[in-house]
Amino acid sequence: MRRLGPGEGVVGILLALAAISPFVLPSQAWIGFAVNAVLISVLSIAWNVTGGFCGQMSFGHAALYGTGAYAAAMLQLRLGLNPYLAGIVGIAAGAAMGGFIGALAFRYGLRGSYFALVTLAFAEVLRILASSFEITGAGSGLTLPFRPGLANLQFPDRYAAYVFVLILCILALAVSAAVKGSRLGSNMVAVRENEEAAGAIGIDAFRVKVVAMIISGAIAGAAGVAYLQIQLFIDAPIAYGSLISVEALLGPIIGGAGTLLGPVVGTVVLHIVGEVVKTGVGGAPGLNLVFYGIVLLLILRFLPNGLMGLAGNLRWPARTASAARSAEAR
Amino acid sequence: MKTKTAQGRFPTLTTTGEWQMAEDKSGFETIAGTARSRRELLKAGGSTLALAAVGTVAAPAVLRAQAPTVKIGGIGPLTGALAYNGNQAKAAMQFAIDDANAAGGIKSMGGAKLELLFGDAESRPDVGAAQVDKLAEAGVCCLVGAQSSAISLATTQAAARFNLPQVVDVGTADQIVQRGLPNVFRFSPGTARSVAEGIANLNTLNEQAGKPVKTVAIVHEDGPFGSSMARLLQEKLPSIGMNVVETISHPTPQRDFTNIVLRLKNARPDLVMPSHYINEFILFARTIRQQRFAPKAIYSIFGGGASNIKFVRENQDAAQFVIDTNHWYDPRKPASQALARKVADAKLDLTYDIMVAYGATQVVIDAIEKAGSADRAKLIETLSTQTFADTVMPYGPIKFVGGDNTGSHLVNLQVRGDKIEVIFPKEYATIDPVFPFPDRS
Repeated sequence: MRRLGPGEGVVGILLALAAISPFVLPSQAWIGFAVNAVLISVLSIAWNVTGGFCGQMSFGHAALYGTGAYAAAMLQLRLGLNPYLAGIVGIAAGAAMGGFIGALAFRYGLRGSYFALVTLAFAEVLRILASSFEITGAGSGLTLPFRPGLANLQFPDRYAAYVFVLILCILALAVSAAVKGSRLGSNMVAVRENEEAAGAIGIDAFRVKVVAMIISGAIAGAAGVAYLQIQLFIDAPIAYGSLISVEALLGPIIGGAGTLLGPVVGTVVLHIVGEVVKTGVGGAPGLNLVFYGIVLLLILRFLPNGLMGLAGNLRWPARTASAARSAEAR
Repeated sequence: MKTKTAQGRFPTLTTTGEWQMAEDKSGFETIAGTARSRRELLKAGGSTLALAAVGTVAAPAVLRAQAPTVKIGGIGPLTGALAYNGNQAKAAMQFAIDDANAAGGIKSMGGAKLELLFGDAESRPDVGAAQVDKLAEAGVCCLVGAQSSAISLATTQAAARFNLPQVVDVGTADQIVQRGLPNVFRFSPGTARSVAEGIANLNTLNEQAGKPVKTVAIVHEDGPFGSSMARLLQEKLPSIGMNVVETISHPTPQRDFTNIVLRLKNARPDLVMPSHYINEFILFARTIRQQRFAPKAIYSIFGGGASNIKFVRENQDAAQFVIDTNHWYDPRKPASQALARKVADAKLDLTYDIMVAYGATQVVIDAIEKAGSADRAKLIETLSTQTFADTVMPYGPIKFVGGDNTGSHLVNLQVRGDKIEVIFPKEYATIDPVFPFPDRS
């Protein structure tokens, strides 16, 4: 395996510092934002498996996220299932939805923008269905009864919720790293770079892409379940809204799609920029979003490989020197 | 934290009165401060009686001079899809607080001034919940907001963790007050009561006019709001002898209502009940005029058509006589008229967001006055046990039972000329209703 460059090391340390900062800083004010940022990071990691590793850009990851959340909510409310069990079924439902959308779209050879459009359509159809039927709470959504306590997977305080999403994020990163390092991960990269060539050397591109969607669906479903357990309320626009799909892909694209830490870096940086700008501009509503957009444009213009691309450009100074010396010696 | 401890210690050097006040504010943050205060107080008291006496005399003066600022937290969407409602509500909260400050602040707290801190929920529940953390840490004693059911559900739950009371201005989802959270107080009525009231009022209007309406067509958007409203109407209208002859749904946004109106012309209902958002309503009302379709009445519940002054101003002809059931203030009260002038001076539209948020803030201010304290637990107790003074709203005695204001209700509004008039219930009406509509074709 390739040795990690200094840039990745620095990013890793910064992320670890950011992760523990809510426990060290005296202020509780940011903990809520930290919870949101880490939760969206999990969703970004899910998107990165299909969009980053496998090159199948989805515009409808809300379909997977929302299915996880709705399945867990309905099982708890309608069947009285234990939240842990319901959560696991929610994750499985996300995976199944991912597999279903993937199988259907890839069976008919949809790629690129067509795949993006089909995923978007799925999320929209699910949103309308969820707001129409009584079993999904129709217009008023689903509210879990407020029963704080770990037995109900509900969090009495924000720190407990933060620890929960942090663990989830680390697990998602572990899954993502395992996929990236495995044969399957290499196959995904091969499919991303050139699907025909991958097929020619015996990779079943259809299978690889569907498996990527299943893994991605499971992680996105887990993010949906976590949202439900923290906010205890979902409705159709929250679970299946296009905002969720956009958030899922912004992080990886800003951070560096296809890298391990990119989605997390991108999401965390976007959230921090959003908050800092909001605090900075003060009263004028909406002005923060303008600045936010400008920052996005600048990153896209000057860092086409995302923030991880920037980090990847850093080299070990000592190593370069010794490499130069050894080159001279030869 | 640091400043609070300092405040707790400072008064003990002068008077006992101040010291007690500092302890009142307490909460866990001043424990260290008060412990030291007691020791120093004993020392001071033991050494010179005279100084203590001077101090006691001076106490009221010091109290007045140092009346603390009471922070009220506003929450709502200043950006995103609901930005209009949030900005309107924020302005109203500021009006209410400015008015209270101009009238001398909180008298039971030595004329303490009020300050509004507002958190932008960006039209998202999760962001709203995170803003609650920030406001709680900034030391607000109570929250007002958040103009939407989804955001209010999240913010009230987040506020419960801080034992922080929230007076919900507009949040119609009935789950808001059904979760057993002791910190939640909803100022305006929820869906179930609103629909029941809207239908009862329709029935009364119809009976007074000699029952001209027998058939109804429902036109609704296919999102959460329109679909659930349509279902409730279909269920309840037969009970007042109205037969639903046509139900048409459409997406939001809908760019052309011609086909829908042609279908309605074909079905010939006496009454049209629209449930969609304001842009669709404007288009729908204009298409009805263009197609020369003349139902006996147009009546909505939370329809927004007849409660939006912009629609009335810009679509005079199409808007005439349209009836809506909605949140609205009591226009005959002097406080309401003063609010209307202030809103006009600030060049804002006078919408129900402003009225309800103003009223909800009035209740919070009254609760602080009654509690004589900005302590969160005391405010929760005051809000859940006491009855509150008059607000701009046409509400009966304001009392929160299980978190729901039992005195709240909606009124019927009708567009007349370039004005929105209250037509029902009679005790708040500014004009007699026109029902059914005169022939407009």
